[in-house]
Amino acid sequence: MSDEASGADRRKSRYQFDRHTPDYRHHFEAITAEMLAQCPLAWSDTYGGHWVAAGHREVFELARSAEYLSNDHDVHHERRGYQGITIPTPESMKFQAGFLEMDPPEQRQYRQALNPYLSPAAVARWAPVVTELIRACLDEKIETGQIDFVDDLANVVPAILTLAMMGIPLAHWTIYCEPTHAAVYTPPDSPDMLRLRDRQIEMYRDMFAQLAAIKEQPRPGLIDALARADINGRTPQDMELLGVMALIIGGGFDTTTALTAHALEWLGEHPDQRERLSRERASLLDSATEEFLRFYTPAPGDGRTISADCEIAGQRFQEGERLWLSWAMSNRDPAVFENPNQIDLARTGNRHHSFGLGIHRCIGSNVARMVFKQMITAVLDRMPDYRCDPAGTVHYETIGVIQGMRHLPAAFTPGPRLGAGLDETIQAIQRACDEQRLAEPVTVRKAGAEIGH
Amino acid sequence: MKVHVDPERCQGHTLCAMIAPEVFELDDIDGHSSPVGENVPAEQEAQVMQAVRSCPEQAISITEGPA
Repeated sequence: MSDEASGADRRKSRYQFDRHTPDYRHHFEAITAEMLAQCPLAWSDTYGGHWVAAGHREVFELARSAEYLSNDHDVHHERRGYQGITIPTPESMKFQAGFLEMDPPEQRQYRQALNPYLSPAAVARWAPVVTELIRACLDEKIETGQIDFVDDLANVVPAILTLAMMGIPLAHWTIYCEPTHAAVYTPPDSPDMLRLRDRQIEMYRDMFAQLAAIKEQPRPGLIDALARADINGRTPQDMELLGVMALIIGGGFDTTTALTAHALEWLGEHPDQRERLSRERASLLDSATEEFLRFYTPAPGDGRTISADCEIAGQRFQEGERLWLSWAMSNRDPAVFENPNQIDLARTGNRHHSFGLGIHRCIGSNVARMVFKQMITAVLDRMPDYRCDPAGTVHYETIGVIQGMRHLPAAFTPGPRLGAGLDETIQAIQRACDEQRLAEPVTVRKAGAEIGH
Repeated sequence: MKVHVDPERCQGHTLCAMIAPEVFELDDIDGHSSPVGENVPAEQEAQVMQAVRSCPEQAISITEGPA
């Protein structure tokens, strides 16, 4: 084979890159610094061979070149057989991850259908719901002086809010919460995998039942928007819509959990910064949120397929080649971020890539920011002296999919409850959802939620 | 100073409106940004410069000139 055909002449910059190993998590900063300095755009032989973009400039230019990049996951081999956004493609993935594994125009039409539920104005209407949910989660633990910030707060609030926005009964949140998180952190060879499969099947059954029920008898929410969506002149099939629902759930649950847990862990280790953030929150909360997003990059990257021969960021690519865009590594590029491996709560010019870039930018970013900020400030207000327990803290073993945490136990000075417990609060929020039709798009309902006590 | 947001580049990250809420407004439906007015008040210039530096898509441009 000639060098041109094998690509050897183009693949001069090489790096053995495997983000799925525990080694990558343990040596993330060293590996990142090495790639940024020596090969910000490298060819790796791992997983069938793929490009890895680590540099901020390289990721920026590539991610915004939608005309040469495809997100398509061609599950039924109807188009060019592209493998979607996951490298390697998991054996168990039998359907597209919604519009994140589609190209325009279908991708754009899905987003247009969902934007009026997820824009800043649409999300702001849910703020009172989030406040009340967080209040109830903290009330469950406030008298004991002990909490697990993952299990008791950061897993719970994003899950319940996401279901509310979708139009799924909130009491079903336990069907969805555990399997969604466990699917991210459970290795395929784990003895827990069989149990997890059963829980996932139960969850998909409920998703399918919700979709069928909403088609039969509409109720407001993201699922209703999907059921009524006109995608390129057709009504999508149920399997395609289940993929979109799974994308919303996957995007809505574990990412915000991961960000919140990491931020609370860091603030617990830096009590002076915690006090400063609490005191100066009016001026500091926005920049601190962006800095935690940059530093912890909950979703560390996305795969793409090169859809046409091209040259981008000084590198020639060939149609069909796979590419990993590392949001996490580009977020540590010293060319853009001064002291990139330090957290600076007041950082300015923070052009981080944590929500992705270009046409696939995270559609739930406004939800993530709002929920994160409320969870952090509520903890600062009600558990200001919390101390995390490093012995009980469990990070995900690998950070190839989500940089998350399984447990973050903490102790604090007990305080008084402020209201009802979680179950009762969920019922009150469900009533508000039903009576005020909170999950309508902002084009239909502009007013914020009102939660009675 | 005049400010312009390229609607083709803007993807609705909303950082500009966080940094300079009096200069940028976000669309209710898709959250994409546009300037409230073309001319930037002198007291807002520093924040607009910071918004330019912070935009993940580099969608904001400024031209110097009398307000």
